[in-house]
Amino acid sequence: MERVRKYWNKPSRSAYVFVAPSIILLILFSVIPLIMAFGLSFFDVPITMNTAKFIGWDNFVEAFHDSRFLNSLKVTAIFTGLEVPIQVLGSLIVAALISKNNKRNKFLRAVYFLPVICSATVIGIMWRMILHSNIGFITAAMQSMGLGKINFMNTPGLTIYVVSFISIWRSFGISAIIYVTAIQQVSPSLFEAAEMDGAGKIRQFIHITVPSIRPTFWYILMTRFAGALQIFDIIYVTTNGGPNYTTESTVSYIYSRAFSSNSSMGYASAMSVVLFIIIMFITVLMYHRMNKEE
Amino acid sequence: MKRITAVGLSVILAASLAACGGSDGKEDTKESGKAKGTTITFWNSFTGADGDMLVEMVDKFNKENKDGITVDMDISADFDSQLSTAFAAGEGPTMMLSSSAYRFTYGDYLQDVSDVFDKTDLDKADFIQSYLDYCSDGDSLYFVPFQIVGYYMYWNKDLFEAAGLDPDTPPATWNEWQEWAGKLTDESKNVYGSGISYDYAYQIAHIMQRFGGLAVTDDNGKWKANFAGNAGYEKFLNMYKAMADKGDNPVEADTDSMASAGQIGMTAGGPWVTAGLDTAGVNYGIGLIPQGDAGDMNSVEVIGFAITTAASDEEKEAAYKFIEWWNTENDDGSSPALEWSLTNGFPAYTYSVQDKDEYKENEKLSVMSSADPEAPTDFITDSNFPGINAVLTDVIPEMINAVAFGNASVDAALEKAQSSADKIVEDYNK
Repeated sequence: MERVRKYWNKPSRSAYVFVAPSIILLILFSVIPLIMAFGLSFFDVPITMNTAKFIGWDNFVEAFHDSRFLNSLKVTAIFTGLEVPIQVLGSLIVAALISKNNKRNKFLRAVYFLPVICSATVIGIMWRMILHSNIGFITAAMQSMGLGKINFMNTPGLTIYVVSFISIWRSFGISAIIYVTAIQQVSPSLFEAAEMDGAGKIRQFIHITVPSIRPTFWYILMTRFAGALQIFDIIYVTTNGGPNYTTESTVSYIYSRAFSSNSSMGYASAMSVVLFIIIMFITVLMYHRMNKEE
Repeated sequence: MKRITAVGLSVILAASLAACGGSDGKEDTKESGKAKGTTITFWNSFTGADGDMLVEMVDKFNKENKDGITVDMDISADFDSQLSTAFAAGEGPTMMLSSSAYRFTYGDYLQDVSDVFDKTDLDKADFIQSYLDYCSDGDSLYFVPFQIVGYYMYWNKDLFEAAGLDPDTPPATWNEWQEWAGKLTDESKNVYGSGISYDYAYQIAHIMQRFGGLAVTDDNGKWKANFAGNAGYEKFLNMYKAMADKGDNPVEADTDSMASAGQIGMTAGGPWVTAGLDTAGVNYGIGLIPQGDAGDMNSVEVIGFAITTAASDEEKEAAYKFIEWWNTENDDGSSPALEWSLTNGFPAYTYSVQDKDEYKENEKLSVMSSADPEAPTDFITDSNFPGINAVLTDVIPEMINAVAFGNASVDAALEKAQSSADKIVEDYNK
């Protein structure tokens, strides 16, 4: 016992003791399920998982012949292409405008952060009601202003933009707050020196702020990318993939295959594996690029 | 200090591992002696206002029952995933409330409850046989009916009057529905004559089967899909498309809200639609959905109590006591089943409740129960077809979306539906 105590008492080793609970939880609730999902993807398994028939690569072959799965990948790509740049760059610009610690900025930061702490269900229901084609407040207001009747939630080609907007609106605040924190860490002496050299605010932002907060930028970019590729909650509550599957993301489709009464857990797992590979590939590329810059 | 720290860390480590453990004492309950004093778990997904009433009823049972039985109810919006993960882990509730179609998905996890009529004072003859058939698979009964969910026609009497139609006379045929939808529509007021949603598979299914019959039938022992070449379905889809193109039917997922806002002349929905209409003060009529070329039908879905394989014999008997209490008349001449019907507007599944004066005097319930008792009650597929949910969640939505958004002609949409349905049917014909 004494030897064990002495062994773990060294600072470098006792650190492992502190992180052990988190690592155990990560292994139990992330790593093991991930490995099991890989395994499940090679089987035909119903929702109750009481039978499992090995079918090799059949689930993957079926996925790449499934027009709905391919459509969901397209929808997810469009959503990511819209949400990520607007969120990452837009929140950076807003953060730059509200980074100073005065009353107005503190109030604005709280306002931007409010949607982040609201439940996705509440947000989805709220926007669905506000944008309803016939009884929605915004729809009615636009009609009364002579802007015509816009069916925000039921127009293929338009609804994906609406859903992207709702998602950006919801999580914009967290990105902005993280940026604000990073911007506030930049040494004021750099800005003073630049001002003395005659650099305006915009030049200071581009040549001082942006390079200084690069690690934060990469963090937000990677997390938003991964988050966007896994979008589910907002879509589930607002459109559930409609109209005509034009907002059905990959995770939405996977959920419908996994947890409907017509469940096929093996098939859903195979699609999850494909999505995992895509996310991992993109994340590794970004990480590699980030390291190269540093 | 170091010793205290080490002990503290060990406790945290042990606690984090224990938190991941699974046992919740179910083993103790399974090994309990008798039904008396037994606690049973009861899962369902009644998260709405009816859920509040269910909570009150369960509390009442817990207080009133003389056997000391406690029903521990868990209502979850995520009932499906909760149930599937529980069963996969070898766990599960004693009793659950769900669609009888779950006997196909979770059949291996449900107990045969045919003996409920032997072990309680419930009279099998009092239950409407077609609903019991819906809850059975072969000779085994897996659900005891709790709620009958049919779809009904609702019309806005004020809009009818404004359009010059008799507010007390709803359309008797689908031709009338389509014609009157045109008369009721008023673009300047955002009013649509017809309220059929493209995103409401159950509503679409109830309507389209009036046109073209069942989507999957038993053809000499083999399941057969009936989409392609179905003249009735073709007529329905053409009618829907025509109304949507003309502006008499909105292309909208949520038509129930529009009906509550007084913007829909006629719609079809379950009994829950009345809650929104009543709250909004809409002056509406309620009737049976017009029959069509497929003949008289009274399509319903049956929600029922089921006992899972996770239940011990004592828990099963305790659950039977609850089900018996639910369907037994008390000293006031009422029963929870009657109260449930009267309050929530769902038609009764027993003759004794249907014969009650309060039931007969309830206008909504008397309309809902006025369907031809001999009319088939199958909902969109043969009641024994296990793949009904696949038809409802995949085939019908794809078909109606393709027509609503102009992706495909009606014929092409029906062909695609046939192909999708054939794949589903093939799985059950093996």
